Amino acid sequence: MKKDISIGVIGSGTMGSGIAQITAKHQLNVLLFDVEKDVLSSNIKRIHSRFDRLVEKGKMSEDECEDAKKNILPTTKLEEMADCAFVIEAAPEKIDVKKEIFKKLDEVCGEHTILATNTSSFSVTEIGSITNRPDRVAGMHFFNPVPLMPLVEIVKGEKTSQQTIDLLVDLGELVNKLPVTCKDTPGFIVNRVARPYYNEALKISNERLASIEQIDKIMKVSGGFKMGPFELQDLIGIDINYTTTESVYGGFFGDSRFRPSYDQQRKVQAGTLGKKSGGGFYNYEA
Amino acid sequence: MERNQAGGFIIMKPSTDQKTLYVVGSEMIAGSIMKDIEKKGFRLATKEELERERQNVDLVIETTCLDLEKKKANLQMIEAAVEESTLILSSVLSISATESASFLNNPSRLVGFGILGSWEEAALVEVAPALQTDEEYLDQVSNLLSEFDKEMEVVQDEAGLVFPRILSLIINEAAFALNEGIASASEIDIAMMKGTNYPMGPLAWADKVGIDNVYSVLMGLHRSLGEERYRPAPLIRKMVHAGWLGEQTGKGFYET
Repeated sequence: MKKDISIGVIGSGTMGSGIAQITAKHQLNVLLFDVEKDVLSSNIKRIHSRFDRLVEKGKMSEDECEDAKKNILPTTKLEEMADCAFVIEAAPEKIDVKKEIFKKLDEVCGEHTILATNTSSFSVTEIGSITNRPDRVAGMHFFNPVPLMPLVEIVKGEKTSQQTIDLLVDLGELVNKLPVTCKDTPGFIVNRVARPYYNEALKISNERLASIEQIDKIMKVSGGFKMGPFELQDLIGIDINYTTTESVYGGFFGDSRFRPSYDQQRKVQAGTLGKKSGGGFYNYEA
Repeated sequence: MERNQAGGFIIMKPSTDQKTLYVVGSEMIAGSIMKDIEKKGFRLATKEELERERQNVDLVIETTCLDLEKKKANLQMIEAAVEESTLILSSVLSISATESASFLNNPSRLVGFGILGSWEEAALVEVAPALQTDEEYLDQVSNLLSEFDKEMEVVQDEAGLVFPRILSLIINEAAFALNEGIASASEIDIAMMKGTNYPMGPLAWADKVGIDNVYSVLMGLHRSLGEERYRPAPLIRKMVHAGWLGEQTGKGFYET
């Protein structure tokens, strides 16, 4: 059943595309923004092919697939977000870029539009402060890959109203996610509490107490984790993992609990980033 | 925290061969080792028997964690009660095997082990030789663990080893976040299970493995390595003092 709600999504990269995909699949209108027209249309094509694959797998009917595709409209103008009930920003993780987007959105959007950021590393309060509606600005942090990960963190900035939080929780449920609300603190819940899984594993390896193979095996057998900390870094991308650690470390003003590892930094500097570069902690070349 | 009905001594004796095992300690794990041995048809005996049958002792398992003075006293008492060559398998959740071995006149027969959680459920046991340990004792541990159908992983010696150390730090961070009011215990647990595929939420996990054990690992790392990084969350420290140790006492981060 078609729902008469329009959602703006800013950025058609991995996270923005994922958010657009699940939103369109749940019969909401999506206005997907990106700066470059060509990038946008190729990313929309990629979303369409993911819908086609869902049909092939029998997880979606032909009709649902066509509707979902129709639900996504491209735009390169932020002005077109004016009538959206919600806008979810998933632009690159650069604070100046995000501030510029929020300033513009605040100018062009109707007064009831709720502006959410998918940031994983910046303060929602800081982003909200650039607008004249900090009560209607919040975090809506999805996890990669968006279509598969059930969680969404709804982040309450210093001035975010409870009504805004309630509406974003409803929106999360509408797109079949499990919303958890939290305060605006570095790394929110997941990226903060998960840090020791990587950082302490790196420190144990650095101290030559156990090999990376041993650590991965022990965490899977004794802990029941699906992947060991080093396999998982290779999958996520060692650069992405390192950037998250640096950001949380900075957010806590250098608290040693979050101190990054030079071993991890060396991998990033060498471009040995994990599966995507053919090698990381393990070698993936054939 | 004296929960061991045998006054800190549980003596297990196999019914078929000559091998005799002793477990010393009052931690949750001492109880779970005892249960496993019972299942395998071993006999539990008393402290008096330890003294009377000292000639037959092949192995002592020692599990003291939090109170290191007591651990030292227990290890020295064991040394006085058993033969000089008897293997002592000692829990190193909160102290290195090397430091534990230093309490003994014959440090070469001490081997460290670490399990966070129950002995019965552990498919793998991390084992760490002290710097002073003789190789032959590692072989004895290997033989023992295969009798219990447990896999042995030999790692280098440091308090908390690998899994207890990493899990305790995750739990510590979850406790800091809870104490700072970032979200509720169940919200934190759900987030970790649904946002990054953890098999259990860290706070429910703490209740299961024992908050006293998590605190022991953190205190051991903090004391041994001297780094602020390992400072236990104030909430964990207070819960241990209040006797809120998780499932074993019916109250922890959750009520059970």
